[in-house]
Amino acid sequence: MTTLLRAGLAAALLHITPTVVLVDRPDAVAQLLPGADKFFAREVHLSDADAHKLHEAVDWSPPDGVLTFYSGRRGAGGALVGVLEFVRVDTPHGPLEVTVAFDTTGAVRGVIVTKATVETKPWVQEALRAGLVTRYRGLKPSDSPAAAAALGGAVGELPLYMAREVDKGVARALAAYRLFYQTR
Amino acid sequence: MLYDLSRADVRVKWLVTCLLLTFGLAYGFGGWMVALYAGFSPKSVAATYASSEMSMPMPPESTVVVEHPMTMSQFAEVAPHQVDTALLVQDTHVHVPMYGLIAACLAVVVLGLRMSRRTGLALVSLLFAAPWLDFLGMWLTKFLAAGFAWLTILGGWAMAAGLMIVTVAALWQMWLMKERTAT
Repeated sequence: MTTLLRAGLAAALLHITPTVVLVDRPDAVAQLLPGADKFFAREVHLSDADAHKLHEAVDWSPPDGVLTFYSGRRGAGGALVGVLEFVRVDTPHGPLEVTVAFDTTGAVRGVIVTKATVETKPWVQEALRAGLVTRYRGLKPSDSPAAAAALGGAVGELPLYMAREVDKGVARALAAYRLFYQTR
Repeated sequence: MLYDLSRADVRVKWLVTCLLLTFGLAYGFGGWMVALYAGFSPKSVAATYASSEMSMPMPPESTVVVEHPMTMSQFAEVAPHQVDTALLVQDTHVHVPMYGLIAACLAVVVLGLRMSRRTGLALVSLLFAAPWLDFLGMWLTKFLAAGFAWLTILGGWAMAAGLMIVTVAALWQMWLMKERTAT
């Protein structure tokens, strides 16, 4: 309780919601695109119509109207290893960054929560310990993630709340991939 | 003066002292965190709040795809901490009420200090104006021009100055000022 009160006071007194790196991006890339030795960033600058389409699908607009997909390739032939996205989710307790990777068939290979905040870190970690991200593996871009619901009573209310926010990040990544990577 | 802190019960003096020192501690850590995430120079504050939309204000007529190679080390490059519009709405919603409560607490302390009515009015105004300047600067930096970052810096320093003035004056009048000079 005291920790919660202190965290509340600190958050209330400061303008900036402090971000905490849970996993460095290069480490996340190495885990999610194993063996890749060449990387490419594909920036999709959305038109109004496409931005609207994405907003309709998942109630979200990417920062600056730009989606960025990172692909990893390996070997002389440049065989595709996979594609990943870093998706930010703004919560009332500060932003989260969810990294979602797809394999060459378009299924989710893995999800890593790469950033949280001072306040949300313990809640996110509790949800992760309960196996949150393993439940996303194999999802197809047309699926709706519901890993938080599967945690049920295994975690407290706030970790469950953060799990729903991670669900939201994964849903955004799936929609972005389905609408603007698979089709282009 | 609505009441006199210098003549207050020792329990009231101790309460006010603890409150002011707690605010001071929190503001100290606040300053540390601002240094970590936004900095104190107009340039770094502008980098935090100025909209990157300024560089590309209009979406393209049709979706444009650009692909370029990158290295693993580029994944590690630390992007400046940026507060976009959604986060600024949230920050304003969360922080402004709390700043109001802190300003109100400090203003109640001011009401118990021995000072002219005009000085008291000025100090209460400073306590409430500082957070307004702080957030006004952030919004103007985001939507008008990066040059307004100085307003946020001014607001931040004004908040620190308000707390410092009230704390020093209150501690002096409650604990150090001799009764004969107090009367």
